[in-house]
Amino acid sequence: MVYEEEQRPRRVVITGLGAVTSIGLGAPTFLAGLKSGRSGVKPITAFDTTGFAHANACEVTDFVPGEWIHHVDPEELGRATQFSVAAANMAVADAGLTAQDLRERRVLVSVGTTDAESRDLDTLVGTQLEEGPERLSPGLARRAQAGRLSSGIVRELGLVDVEALTIPTACAAGNYAIGSGFDAIRHGEVEAALCGGADAVCRKTFTGFYRLGTIAPEVCQPFDVDRKGILTGEGAGVLLLESLESALARGARIYAEVLGYGLNCDAHHPVAPDQDSLARCMEIAHRNAGVAQEDIDFISAHGTGTRANDVTEAGAIRQVFDTPPPTVSIKSMIGHSMGAASALAAAACALAITEGFIPPTVNHRETDPECGLDCVPNEARPAVLNVVQNNALAFAGNNAVLILGRMKEAA
Amino acid sequence: MSSLVLSAWSAISPYGVGNAPLRNGLAEGRDAVAALDRDLHEVPFQQAALVPDFTAARYVGKKGTRTMDRVTALAVTAVGNLVESVAEELAARPEQTALVLGTGSGSVQSIMDFTKDSLSGERPYHVEPARFPNTVMNRAAGQSAIWHRIKGPNTTVAGGSLTGLLALSYALRLHRGGHCARVLCGAAEEFSAQRAWLEWHGRADEERETPLGEGAAVFLIEPAEDAAAAGRTALARVGATRFRAYRGTDGPREALTACVRSALDTAGVEPGAIRFVAPLGGGGKLAAEEEQAVIDALPGVHPEWIRMRERIGDTSAAATALQLAAVLATAGEQGLGPGEAALVTGVERDGQVGCAVFTGG
Repeated sequence: MVYEEEQRPRRVVITGLGAVTSIGLGAPTFLAGLKSGRSGVKPITAFDTTGFAHANACEVTDFVPGEWIHHVDPEELGRATQFSVAAANMAVADAGLTAQDLRERRVLVSVGTTDAESRDLDTLVGTQLEEGPERLSPGLARRAQAGRLSSGIVRELGLVDVEALTIPTACAAGNYAIGSGFDAIRHGEVEAALCGGADAVCRKTFTGFYRLGTIAPEVCQPFDVDRKGILTGEGAGVLLLESLESALARGARIYAEVLGYGLNCDAHHPVAPDQDSLARCMEIAHRNAGVAQEDIDFISAHGTGTRANDVTEAGAIRQVFDTPPPTVSIKSMIGHSMGAASALAAAACALAITEGFIPPTVNHRETDPECGLDCVPNEARPAVLNVVQNNALAFAGNNAVLILGRMKEAA
Repeated sequence: MSSLVLSAWSAISPYGVGNAPLRNGLAEGRDAVAALDRDLHEVPFQQAALVPDFTAARYVGKKGTRTMDRVTALAVTAVGNLVESVAEELAARPEQTALVLGTGSGSVQSIMDFTKDSLSGERPYHVEPARFPNTVMNRAAGQSAIWHRIKGPNTTVAGGSLTGLLALSYALRLHRGGHCARVLCGAAEEFSAQRAWLEWHGRADEERETPLGEGAAVFLIEPAEDAAAAGRTALARVGATRFRAYRGTDGPREALTACVRSALDTAGVEPGAIRFVAPLGGGGKLAAEEEQAVIDALPGVHPEWIRMRERIGDTSAAATALQLAAVLATAGEQGLGPGEAALVTGVERDGQVGCAVFTGG
């Protein structure tokens, strides 16, 4: 369908969810994990952790690629791409669509990531050290490309009229990717968008955070006075977005409406977040979404569990909100899945709106008075949710805030 | 229809740092590929097209660049030359300018060196913390923003050879969504030993010998009326970007033909108006299909072909951005003339094609 240029912007809704997480595969299992406060933490198996004093992470341990990927040979895909392709298949099926349906539509695929296939790059470094660069595996060299995270979905679904966009804007990338999908549907540029984020646990990133002293020895405790840092995690979250008209016309279930998003850049420090800039990003998101701060029913925080993040983020929230709403971090359950993090958090927000609950912040004992937020400790809370906010921050001060709302009948 | 224009650009190419070296190199028809000093570069290639004498210390400055990697330095330098055009706007309202930068997988050299330190050091965490951010793929865009105080949306885009076109498409969408007043948009790629080895092993046999190049190109994209108000010449109007996927051997040609036709249609451009075509190119079958696809979409038209890869090697993620820079370099100081149009195309071996159409005025 070709849209008229001057038509008014479309409303954008989420009708399909795909989730590959350390607490469950597929939206129903992920939902059950969020409701029950399941934790995905376990000792790392992705690489040899000899020499590290502690090495827990939130790995996806029950993922069998062949069960979720049907058309592309999983061997041709790195682990992060396997996750993104699997999550896309889940989202399409969850939306009650088929690959054929999408082949007949103009589609945007946008996938965010921090590390793309750095797990494969780690493996290649190992080979290079042992056998020399002449012996690198051509298959690994080919699949270790960031662009594969989105193009893998295109190949798996056999999409034709499609733009395959990978957005490596690090730990905020999922929200960036959903935002671009939102804009593309809103202005009639495409009829469907598969957007989200994916990453795989890798030595490189674990080591970097470990060296910075930010890896928690055991569990991730966002906003807790005794919090000790992040746990690296992995997985993928993919959302299927379409216009409200399209969803209504085919009688699709609507999880939530995407109301808008805001982006900005601290342009200040490579790794330390900036409170004022983050506060501004929330205000931009509210303005773009047409909501006021008092409308937000809960915040899904970036909430990594580091001192710097949690205090800065809580400070920014208190700066923007007269009375901060409940503010949770699902990283307490699934760790920091990097580029997938805000995509999975967005999926969690959509599920929360549909199912009427606020996901908990688990592993919580005592709230840090410096954070001073109601983090919905340890147990999910029933709630009627109309508008929710999903925060994401990345290295280099790349902030992205997404606003979702309960689907209301057209005015 | 888009009223966005390109009103300034900044290139770093194997001809040198700046727009003039690119202009002159192309005008002279010079080949920037040269023999590699094998003592300095332990790579499987005999030749490459490097940016001559480029180092972070020399072009970005000695201060704060000890751990800056090459792709970041290329990006910071290219963006730095571009922001001179919008210095006033940037100083007054830094949050209104977005930066959208394409890269491959960031710097594979930085990423793999970091893992190497972990694997070969005395302790697995004996890595240099200041280098960790280099291993995250938004480093080049993020540092460019920090260096030049660009506080609007800051997005990194990846998509193989189509990266520059995808960055452009993302930038148009971002602007249309009301997220910024203007966008600095482009792509950067570095030459490194690690990239060379990955390319060597990852390529098909027929492409294997194509020398690697490097460089960066960034463009100022803004509404035509803003450019006019600021006294900047609209060098080209952005007509349309378009992408498709292909499968099978005849796939790329048919997909790209459909893509070009659709982009021309969206941009309201007659095939006969196309004066310049800048394909991704290269020596293999894909490149032949790419040119044939353009010919199919432009029957009876005889544009000027600008074949960058023959001159500056395979610049991977920066390729399509440098193709656009080459179009502007060739079009001259006033940009595309009234009634003129240009086409930039790319074919990604992973199964996608893309193009962008630009018009005069």
